[in-house]
Amino acid sequence: MLEQDTSGSEVWEADSILLEQGKSYVVEAPSGRGKTSLLSVIYGIRTDYQGLVFFDDRDLVSLRSKEWSQIRKNRLSFIFQGLELFDDLTALENIRLKNRITTYHTDERIKEMALMLGIDPFLNRKAGILSFGQQQRVAIIRALCQPFDFLLADECFSHMDRDNSLTAYQLIRAECEARNAGLILTSLNETGLPNTDVSLKL
Amino acid sequence: MRLLYQILWKDHSRTHLLGAFLGTLAGFVLLLAGIQFYMDIKSVLSENRDLLDPEYIVINKKVNIGNTLGLSGGGFTEEEIAEIEAQPFADQVAAFNSNEFPVQAYTEGDQVPNFITDLFFEAIPDEYIDVKSEDWQWDPEEGTIPVIIPQDYLNLYNFGFAPSQGLPQIPKGVLSMINFKIRLQGQGRGNYDDYNGRIVGFSNRVSSILVPVDFLEWANDKYGYFKKNDPAQVILVSKDPTDPSIIRFLEERGYDTIREKLKSSRMNIILKFVISFLVLVAAIIIGLAFLVFLLSLQLMISRSADKIRRLNKLGFHYREISRPYILLLMLLMAGITGLSLLLTYLLAGQLQQRAEAWSLNISSSLHGIIYGTALGLILLISLANITAILISTKKLCK
Repeated sequence: MLEQDTSGSEVWEADSILLEQGKSYVVEAPSGRGKTSLLSVIYGIRTDYQGLVFFDDRDLVSLRSKEWSQIRKNRLSFIFQGLELFDDLTALENIRLKNRITTYHTDERIKEMALMLGIDPFLNRKAGILSFGQQQRVAIIRALCQPFDFLLADECFSHMDRDNSLTAYQLIRAECEARNAGLILTSLNETGLPNTDVSLKL
Repeated sequence: MRLLYQILWKDHSRTHLLGAFLGTLAGFVLLLAGIQFYMDIKSVLSENRDLLDPEYIVINKKVNIGNTLGLSGGGFTEEEIAEIEAQPFADQVAAFNSNEFPVQAYTEGDQVPNFITDLFFEAIPDEYIDVKSEDWQWDPEEGTIPVIIPQDYLNLYNFGFAPSQGLPQIPKGVLSMINFKIRLQGQGRGNYDDYNGRIVGFSNRVSSILVPVDFLEWANDKYGYFKKNDPAQVILVSKDPTDPSIIRFLEERGYDTIREKLKSSRMNIILKFVISFLVLVAAIIIGLAFLVFLLSLQLMISRSADKIRRLNKLGFHYREISRPYILLLMLLMAGITGLSLLLTYLLAGQLQQRAEAWSLNISSSLHGIIYGTALGLILLISLANITAILISTKKLCK
């Protein structure tokens, strides 16, 4: 439970909620309902909540910094709403920064994904000069460059047109399926995205 | 991970780091050169005295008008001698015994001019005396009293008195062959005995007329009737006469000695003062430079705070994030160590050349303690900085 008005929320007001690996969840809500907060709690960035959150059978509060970085390297991946790219690095370097931790994908696969999302011409440009929509796609590819059990995607299509969004979504789904991973995707409005298992209203 | 370094090193301040680097370097060179210099001088000082021959220092109380008027005794009380004995620099201490009866020496016969003189005797244990002679023993049966006089007395006569008075100079050997009489006077008229006296040696160490201890004890027993005085002189043996605490102690207590012998002790005091001043300055510089180092790195980290949080969100542990800072620190520290040792080595070479001109023999290579000090300090500074880096990156991370 967050310290804000969460009345009527399927998540915050629920006695308990179970997010299962392998399923895809879409969390829809207008601004200010705590979408980012939910993902941040799961990802261990925010700890200012009441109640208990377990990852497997571990209470998140009990996880040590070393365990968190292991989890963020191998079990949870996050497409941040604020992207968290390094402006001084090129798009490719931003992706590699993550990929080098686990060397999950080959450079070829990275370029293939970039091509798929239509940002391959910008790979060697500094991330800071790309448009927000292009940056979003860089962040998506970066988030896919690691093993994970869950992918947390925070309004990751907000600055993309419908076609690009669908392509990106399909790429994300494919990568999740390859890992048998769960997906938690937040969105401001009805996404109309196909093949989602559970829709949660915040 | 090259990218990590690329991201985090970008936020350094070249001027801060350069300032900290140069400051620490200057402090190190000052400190190391100071230690090197000190060790050199110390070895020169100890070379100049015979290591096998510890210094014998005869001390007495300063004579003041109170002594002259008989208001205060000029001797050492038992407590004072015990205090001297307790000093760390005093390896052995012995008090001078003196005669407690009148003594006269005179000559008779035709070979030498006749003279008669009042005399005094003092005695200290044999191990304190720099003259070794088979004749240096007292045998009451035989009745010859062996006497050691200061070399200075003979010099005074041979080089001062004799030439000015047209008298012949007397070699040591001849003086030793001269027989003279010694009269020991007990209490009461006519209570005296005459003995043969013989000079058996000349002392450079003790400015007194010495007789064997057992003779003086025997004679004081037999003839003594003066009130027993506190010994006016005390001889002490010090294995390390360069120890500056000797002079300090003597000055505090108002004791006097032949200053020449304690020259190295005095030099040591000055040297220690100069060096400790140098070390103090070096310590302040190193301390300040260390602070600049610490602050520059902390500034660098706080400038990168956003990036560090971001990296942490991407799964980098704070220890991984600290690595670029620690590597930067170690590179700078290695540079400081290397350069300061090199500069100190060059300075030591310069010093050695100069010292050679004064025919002082000092080593041009660095003393082992220099390496130890440099490494120890670098380790200390590095550890403190690494701890600070880890703490501040940890603060930014989950």
